[in-house]
Amino acid sequence: MHAIGLVANPASGKDIRRLAGKASVFDNREKLAIVKRAVAGAIATGAERFVYMNDSHGIVSEAIKAIRVPRGVRFEALPSPKTSSAMDTTAAAEQMASRDCAVVLVLGGDGTNRAFVKGWRGATLVSLSTGTNNVFPVMAEATVAGMVLGLMATGGLKARSVARRVKIIDVSIDGEADDLALIDAVATSDTFIGARALLDPDRLKEALLCRAEPAAVGMTSLGGLIRPVADEDDFGLHLVFSKDGRCLKAPIGPGLFATLKVGSTRKVRFDHAIALKGPLVLAFDGERERMVGMGQNVRMTISRTGPWVVDLNQAMQLCAKKKLLLESN
Amino acid sequence: MSEAIKDQPRVLPYVSAITEAVQQVLKEQDNAFVAGEDVGQAGSVFGYYQGLLAEFGDRRIVDTPISEKGIIGLGVGAAATGCRPILDVMFMDFLGECMDEVANQMAKMRFMFGGGATLPITVLTMAGAGMNLAAQHSQSWEAWLAHLPGVKVVMPSNAYDAKGLIIAAARDDNPVFVVLNKMSLAMPAEVPEHMYEVPIGTSAIVRPGTNFTILAIGRMVHEALAAAKTLEALGVDCEVIDVRSIQPFDSATAVTSIEKTHRALIVHEAVRFGGFGGEIVAQLQEEAFDYLDAPIARVGAPFSPVPYSPALEKVYIPNADNIVAEVKKVLGL
Amino acid sequence: MEDGKIPGALHLYVGQEAVAVGVMAHLSNADQITSTHRGHGHVIAKGGEFSPMFAELYGKATGYCKGKGGSMHISNMALGILGANGIVGGGPPIAMGAAFSNKFRKTKQVSVTFFGDGASNEGSFHEAANMAALYQLPCVFVCENNGFGEYTAQTNHQAVTDVADRAAGYGMPGVVVDGMDVMAVYEAAEAAVERARSGQGPTLLECKTYRYYDHVGVRGMGLTYRTDEEVEAWKARDAIESFEALLIKQGVSTKKKIENVYARVNEEILEGVAFAESSPFPTEEDLLQDVYFVGAAS
Repeated sequence: MHAIGLVANPASGKDIRRLAGKASVFDNREKLAIVKRAVAGAIATGAERFVYMNDSHGIVSEAIKAIRVPRGVRFEALPSPKTSSAMDTTAAAEQMASRDCAVVLVLGGDGTNRAFVKGWRGATLVSLSTGTNNVFPVMAEATVAGMVLGLMATGGLKARSVARRVKIIDVSIDGEADDLALIDAVATSDTFIGARALLDPDRLKEALLCRAEPAAVGMTSLGGLIRPVADEDDFGLHLVFSKDGRCLKAPIGPGLFATLKVGSTRKVRFDHAIALKGPLVLAFDGERERMVGMGQNVRMTISRTGPWVVDLNQAMQLCAKKKLLLESN
Repeated sequence: MSEAIKDQPRVLPYVSAITEAVQQVLKEQDNAFVAGEDVGQAGSVFGYYQGLLAEFGDRRIVDTPISEKGIIGLGVGAAATGCRPILDVMFMDFLGECMDEVANQMAKMRFMFGGGATLPITVLTMAGAGMNLAAQHSQSWEAWLAHLPGVKVVMPSNAYDAKGLIIAAARDDNPVFVVLNKMSLAMPAEVPEHMYEVPIGTSAIVRPGTNFTILAIGRMVHEALAAAKTLEALGVDCEVIDVRSIQPFDSATAVTSIEKTHRALIVHEAVRFGGFGGEIVAQLQEEAFDYLDAPIARVGAPFSPVPYSPALEKVYIPNADNIVAEVKKVLGL
Repeated sequence: MEDGKIPGALHLYVGQEAVAVGVMAHLSNADQITSTHRGHGHVIAKGGEFSPMFAELYGKATGYCKGKGGSMHISNMALGILGANGIVGGGPPIAMGAAFSNKFRKTKQVSVTFFGDGASNEGSFHEAANMAALYQLPCVFVCENNGFGEYTAQTNHQAVTDVADRAAGYGMPGVVVDGMDVMAVYEAAEAAVERARSGQGPTLLECKTYRYYDHVGVRGMGLTYRTDEEVEAWKARDAIESFEALLIKQGVSTKKKIENVYARVNEEILEGVAFAESSPFPTEEDLLQDVYFVGAAS
């Protein structure tokens, strides 16, 4: 019996995109309810051991308190630095890596998953969206997600048959810590991090995309509307924005459209480095994250060395095929 | 143009005098508006805003949620920034929901700001028992308001004063509470059509008399007049004063009367204990002690919440008989 | 205050500066604010001067309120400051009213109400929020969530952890922003104020911040209801220090220039204090002035 990791980001789904765009607040009571449903699903399919991020808002711990835990089911809170920042998620991921977690449920947006992967790159993830314009996590019923978690914990379903390794962008910055992005890495002419969301199209300089999805919002759609790239494709896309480029009208956020001028669009092979020089601000998966100083060099590469992502539909199809939940007479 | 030429003699009920006053104020003051619960579509539960929504539109006749804190807050913020709000607190009992906004914000803002803010606010609210509306829709809380430095409080007993006091309140640059009485709504009086003010801070002698002064508040004026009629037969010639403004209180009229009559009684519908009558008694003993030949008497409601049962409410509300009995007691009759 | 020169109660704003500055950068003198117990920061950020402010704290006749309001009621109508407030939750209904007035008078003014996590439990806040959204008023509700309602931690006074979660209940957008990052507040407030000004209605903007000092008074450390480590952790993210670092890193300013700003501000503060100390107290004749408006109605 393996453990199941639980991570709920209390800060997801609350940023400025509720104002600049037309997103709505994702309230923490709903996140708590999602945890309850997922845990119920997991226990129903045999899960017995959970380890969880002891988030600063107590989402998971409150959820556990509110459910009737059957005998033999254990929950373990991982010590948290409680910085009320992405560092809490990264710290939880580092600890889960050594706790025999067959699979981790991550509630958040692209940013939450990125923070998790910074702590445990090889994790197997079930990521449900409780964020804003998400590409990485999916919208799915938590009960079903929980059933898949349970089936994976008991060994009924194996990661290699229901999960796929995804692409990732590695970023190195001269003299500073490395970074990564799961969907997109964007260079902007911003001068500060501020409210993080990428909202000013005039400040976009270049973008490197793992995935260019036309049926999504945010940076991924900019490439997606020109040259779609799926996660299955073993390459990425590099966009350069330019004043004399072609106009592209695209949803840069939920309910928020902008006309961008795209100069060039190029396929990028694995391990081909995109080089940039500061000053600039780097945004990863839709949020401004790093300030790069004058003359500082940045290198970005794409590879298929990201986390393993569970396909819930595929998993439940397999569950049915293997009759995992059908009791024998 | 004189009033005589302008106005034909005309009788209006109290409720229509309120409507006319508000209508004329809204015409006179572009920055005035009415805000309150059910003031627009419903025209007020008492009917006194009927027709105003159609005439002035929903910019100036504003239906609010059932949110008294919000209504008073809306008025305070709007008045401080250039509007002249007329706020409606449906039943005076609901002041409990917004006493902070009244007592701590509205009443004090000008003073706390060193005179920096001016708050031309009129609040219309309905007091009084008599309709079996029980303990939370029948009270008379004017003493609460009169105790607050920074607000004015008037209580019209008749249609003429209702119109004149509402207009005076709306033209005043201070917060003024106009405490109306629900049992008076149908009561008619002569009301001129033109705009006129009844000056805030003045009482009215509604029945001149020579040997006993009755100071009556709000609807009790009518009970006092009835009592005076009864007492007349006993040789007591009562002077009845309508204390239509309780903050500020016109003590001069009362003192002048007592200099003549040497005896006084105060009657209000509010609970007698701690009622505004006590303040009047205190002022009169300070200013007219030497003229008094007897202790000043008080008639008010017993120290109980307003009861529901018609049988109980009837004995609860002070009436002419109570006044007569109290006057006789003072006189040893 | 410890010398007894400032009477009464003083509720310091220190630690929360990024909120006042980030929001007020988008307001003109014509825009209105209502403030909290901690009004000094808002007054300064809204364009107030030290001299009349300190004079008010000292209870002097030259103060913003002629010495009648004091720290908890500091106001200035010319600057659109509709008062600090001694009542927790006192501000939101008034700001909502000012916003109603702005819409009624068809101006482009915006009103902003600052309030704390504690005030978000007061009925007055809920009524104001509901009405602001109902009437689509040009109003921004800025919750300065400093983690405490007086001496009670947020976890002990409300079941939600983000006040912004309540926005949906009123039908307005809610946003959480790092209240220790002035640029984050600046960006979010810009969007919220613009939204209000263009007639799109109110916003609930929650800024996560921290009060370096006690609820009242000048002690910050060694308090029973919070740990010194917690205070230090927040101070490590100090809004002013991190903004200075940003300015220097981006070449906008230099350490020397920033030191000059400190020197100049210190001088202004000393001038303000000296003005307050040398100013006269109000006299007994002043007491009954300003209780009522006296004179011809406007």
